[in-house]
Amino acid sequence: MSKIGVFVCHCGENISATVDCESVANTASQIEGVAFATDYKYMCSEPGQMRIKDAIREKGLDGVVVAACSPRMHEPTFRKTCAEAGLNPFLCEMSNIREHCSWVHEKSGETTDKAISLVRMLVEKVKRNKPLNPIKVPITKKALVIGGGIAGIQAALDIAGAGQKVILVERDPSIGGHMSQLSETFPTLDCSQCILTPRMVDIAQHPNITLYAYAELEKLEGFIGNFKATIRLKAKSVDHKTCTGCGACMTKCPSKKIPSEFNEGLGMRTAIYTPFPQAVPNKPIIDRVNCRYYTTGKCKVCEKICPTGAIQFDREDEFITEDIGAVVLATGFNVLKPDFFPEYGYGKYADVITGLQFERLASASGPTMGVIRRPSDGKIPQKVVFIACAGSRDPAKGIPYCSKICCMYTAKHAMLYQHKVHEGESYVFYMDIRAGGKNYEEFVRRAIEEDGAHYIRGRVARIYEKDGKMVVKGVDTLLGAQQVEIEADMVVLATAGVANGGAEDLAQKMHVSYDPYKFFAEAHPKLKPVETNTAGIYLCGACQAPKDIPDTVSMASGAAAKVIGLFSNAELTREPTIAVVNRIATHDVSTCVGCFLCETACPYQAIEHEEIKNRNGEVIKTVARVNPGLCQGCGTCVSFCRSKSIDIQGFSNEQMFAEVMSLVAEY
Amino acid sequence: MRELQDTVKALFDKGEIDLFIGYEKGTRTPRPFFVHKAEDAENLIFDAACSGNLAVYLTRKDLTGGKKTGISASYYALKSIAQLFDENQLKAENLRIFGVSEEGSVQFFDSVAAIKQHLSATPPPAKPDEDELVGKINAMTASERWKFWSDELSKCFKCYACRAACPMCYCTKCIVEVNRPQWIQPWASTLSNMEWQINRVMHLAGRCSDCGSCGTACPLGIPVHLLTHKMSETVKEHFGVSETKENVLSTFKPDDKENFIH
Ligand SMILES: Cc1cc2nc3c(=O)[nH]c(=O)nc-3n(C[C@H](O)[C@H](O)[C@H](O)COP(=O)(O)OP(=O)(O)OC[C@H]3O[C@@H](n4cnc5c(N)ncnc54)[C@H](O)[C@@H]3O)c2cc1C
Ligand code: SF4
Ligand code: SF4
Ligand code: SF4
Repeated sequence: MSKIGVFVCHCGENISATVDCESVANTASQIEGVAFATDYKYMCSEPGQMRIKDAIREKGLDGVVVAACSPRMHEPTFRKTCAEAGLNPFLCEMSNIREHCSWVHEKSGETTDKAISLVRMLVEKVKRNKPLNPIKVPITKKALVIGGGIAGIQAALDIAGAGQKVILVERDPSIGGHMSQLSETFPTLDCSQCILTPRMVDIAQHPNITLYAYAELEKLEGFIGNFKATIRLKAKSVDHKTCTGCGACMTKCPSKKIPSEFNEGLGMRTAIYTPFPQAVPNKPIIDRVNCRYYTTGKCKVCEKICPTGAIQFDREDEFITEDIGAVVLATGFNVLKPDFFPEYGYGKYADVITGLQFERLASASGPTMGVIRRPSDGKIPQKVVFIACAGSRDPAKGIPYCSKICCMYTAKHAMLYQHKVHEGESYVFYMDIRAGGKNYEEFVRRAIEEDGAHYIRGRVARIYEKDGKMVVKGVDTLLGAQQVEIEADMVVLATAGVANGGAEDLAQKMHVSYDPYKFFAEAHPKLKPVETNTAGIYLCGACQAPKDIPDTVSMASGAAAKVIGLFSNAELTREPTIAVVNRIATHDVSTCVGCFLCETACPYQAIEHEEIKNRNGEVIKTVARVNPGLCQGCGTCVSFCRSKSIDIQGFSNEQMFAEVMSLVAEY
Repeated sequence: MRELQDTVKALFDKGEIDLFIGYEKGTRTPRPFFVHKAEDAENLIFDAACSGNLAVYLTRKDLTGGKKTGISASYYALKSIAQLFDENQLKAENLRIFGVSEEGSVQFFDSVAAIKQHLSATPPPAKPDEDELVGKINAMTASERWKFWSDELSKCFKCYACRAACPMCYCTKCIVEVNRPQWIQPWASTLSNMEWQINRVMHLAGRCSDCGSCGTACPLGIPVHLLTHKMSETVKEHFGVSETKENVLSTFKPDDKENFIH
C-alpha cells in the first residue's frame, strides 16, 4: 500500500482565510494510502520544506502531495525538496487549493470541502505516479539566423561574439534590411547607414559567422538542439569566389531601366547589380527576369567585360544542409504598397509617395543625393502634406493595430524636410501622436515647435490633382471637424507596417504560430517575448510586430542571450512528461496497430515509425514511436489513439481516470 | 459472373494469387467465400445482394498472412480498402483488387490512387431505407430519441458482432478490452452499451465507409448502422471528404465549422 504524505499550506492567509486548512489535513489523513498529513503557514519556506523532508525520511513516504498554490509557481521548489530527501521528484505533485479554491470562493464549509476534493484527486493520482528521470538530449552548437536586417545582424553578432557558430541566411542579395534604406533615424537623427554599415562589415568578417545572401530556408526538420536545415542558395549567375566586386559589369549592362527596389522605385538599376554601394556581400548577382541574355538569348556583355571570368549563366539553385541547434527568426516587416489607398491616389499620382520613398529622397546616397525633389518633375516641393496612420488603426481596412513607428518617423520626415527646404511648409495629419519612449516626445515637440511643422488632428478623406498640385481634403477635429483643404506639391503616406512577404509560408515550414496579420507569435506576450511556441526557435525584430530600431536591437540581443544560454549546456535536460507508445509483455510487442493517425494529429511532428523485428530480423509490425526531443507532451495523440496505445508519462490515462473517479465516488 | 470466375481462374493459373475473397450462394443471402484453388472459382457470384463488406478479411492475419490475395470489392469495400491503405494496414504488392459492378463487370485497380479516382467519380449507392429511418429519428424530440436508443441498446449483450463485421475495427486491443483504466464497463447494461456504441461511432468518424455491415451483423437487429450512417453524413456535410491521409478528428483547419458546438 502507498505511503503518501499530504502537506497543506496556509500561504499566510491566502488560503487559510477561506479554507480550514487543519480540517483539510485531518480529512486527508483518513484517505486510504495516506500515511501522514499536516498543515503549515508557509510550506515553501525553509522550515516548511524541512517538514516535508523530515516526514519523507521518518515515515518512509513514497509519494507527496503539497496542497498549496499553482504548480506553475512552486512545483519545481517542492520537487527539489523531495529529491533532496531521496524521493524521486516526479512522485511529488501539487494540488492547487489557492487559485482553484481559496481565491475564487468565499469562506465556507463548501470551500473547505472543495479543497478536500482537490487533495483527494491528487492523492489518487500520486498513488499511480511512477519515478521518472529527466530526458537528456545533445545540442548542436550552431545557430541559424534567418533574415539579415538589423535584428538578424545584431543577433548573429551577439551569438558569434559569445564564441558560437552562426549561419545567417538573407533572402536579398545584401544584408541590411529596411534600416539600410533609411536616411537619418529618430530620435537622434544620426545617419542610418553610418551606424549600420560597420555592423554589416562585421558580419562579413566575423570568423564565427557564415553568411548566405540571396538564399532562403527550404526546409527545417528536427527539434531543439538537433535541427537539420536545408538552405536554398539561389543562382546568382556570378561566381562570388572569383568575382572581385570591381563593378565593371554593372557599368556596361545594357538593361539599365529596372526600378531599383532599394530606392523604392525612385531610381533605376541594371540587370546585373548590387542593391547599393555598401552592400554586403559587395558582389553582384544577375536578376534573370530582367537580364537580356535570359529573356532574349542574346547579350552576355557582362561576360565579355568581366576581367576574372566570374559570370556563369548556367548556374542553378543549390541546396545545402546544416545541423543546427537553435534558430532565430528575424525576417522583418514591410510597408503597405499601392492599390491599398485608392482614395489617396497612391500609384495614380507620382507625387503621392510612401514614407519609405521619402527616406530615399532624404538620403544623401539616394537617387536625388539627399535633395528633396518630387518624383513627377524633379521640382523641390514647397508644401508637403504628411499623412500618419495610412492604413493603420483602420479596422475597415483590416488593420486595427497601430504600426507604432509612423508617428515618430513622420515627425522625423517633417523635420528633415524643414531642415532641407527652409522656406517650405509641412503639414501632418494625425489621429493621435504616440511618442512613448526615451526622448521621443521631446523629438516630436521639436518638430512642431522649433521646425514649425503644422500638426492637424484629423483624417484625410481624399486627394486629387488640380493644376499640378495635390489637393488634400480633410477635417480638423480639434476645430470642430472644420473642413481643411491644402494644395500640396507632394504627399507622403505613413503606410501601415505589415508582415513581410512569405512570412506565412516560412512560419508553416518551421511550425511557428502567427497572428491574424501574419506576424510571428511570441510564446507569451509578457514573459516569453523572444521565444516562439516551438522550443529552440526564437524571434526578434519587426517580424513579431512593427517596431523601431532600439526595440528591434534589444529584442535581438534578448533572443541571442537565449541561444547563448541554451548553448552553454553540454546537453539539454527536458521534463519527462512526454508521450510514449506502450510496449507490453516482453517489450517487443505493442498494442499499437500502426494506423499512424496519431502522426496526422501531432502538432509537433513527434511521431516516428518503428519496426518491431523478430530474432531473425524480420519485421513483425510497424508501430508508432515518440521522438522524446520533439514531443511537447500536449496529449493530442493520446486523446486520438483508439486503442489507447499511447500515454503521457506522469499524466497517464490511468492517473486522469483515477482523479475523476475519486470525485465520482464521493457523490 | 462468368467474367469474374474466368478472371480469378486465370489468376490462379498464372500463380498470381494464393487466395481470392469473394461471395458464394448462401441459404438466404450470399455469403463470403474463400477460393484457394482455381477450380473453386466457378462457385463465385456477385450481385446486388452481396452486401457484406469483404474488406474486413484483408486485415485478418490468420487468413491472409503471407498470401497473395485477390478480392472482389463492392463500392463500400473499395472505400474501406482505400481507408485501410491510408492507415498503413495493407501492402499493395500482395493484393489484387477487383471492383465488381452489380451487373458483374470486373475492373482491376492497380493502385490506391486508381481506387480513389473511381470512388470520386462514382456516386454512392442510394440508401432509401436508412435515410427514411434517420429522417424519422431526426424528427423525434431529444427525449423521444433518447428513449428510442435506450430501448434499442438495452437489448445489446455485447457479442461485438458489429465490431467483427467492420473492416475498420482491426485494432488488436479494442478500447473495450482496455482495463487500465476501464473506460467502458465490460458488462452489458443500457448505459455501458451506450458507452460502447458512442465510442465505436466516434472511433469511426472520418473512417467509416457507411457499408452498414455492423447493422446487418447484429443478431438482435439493433440498427447500429444508423449511428454510423448519420455520423458519416454529418462528417461529409461539415468537413467534406479528405483527399489525404488526414482524418477529420486529427486535423485542424482554420476554416473548420464550429456551428455544431453549443
Ligand atoms: C519609413 C520608415 C522609417 C523608419 N525610420 C526609423 C527611424 O528613424 N528610427 C528607428 O528606430 N526605426 C525606424 N524605422 C523602423 C526600422 O526600419 C525597423 O525597426 C527595422 O528595420 C526592423 O529591423 P528588422 O531587422 O526586424 O526588419 P527588416 O529591416 O525588415 O529586415 C528583415 C530582413 O530579413 C530579410 N528576410 C525577409 N524574409 C526572409 C526570408 N524568408 N528568408 C531570409 N531573409 C528574409 C529581408 O530581406 C531583410 O533583409 C523606420 C521604418 C520605416 C518604414
Ligand atoms: S499509437 Fe494509436 S493512433 Fe498511433 S499508430 Fe499506434 S494505434 Fe494508431
Ligand atoms: S503528446 Fe503531443 S507532441 Fe507529444 S507525440 Fe503526442 S501529439 Fe505529439
Ligand atoms: S452486434 Fe449488436 S448486440 Fe452485439 S455488440 Fe454490437 S450492438 Fe451489441
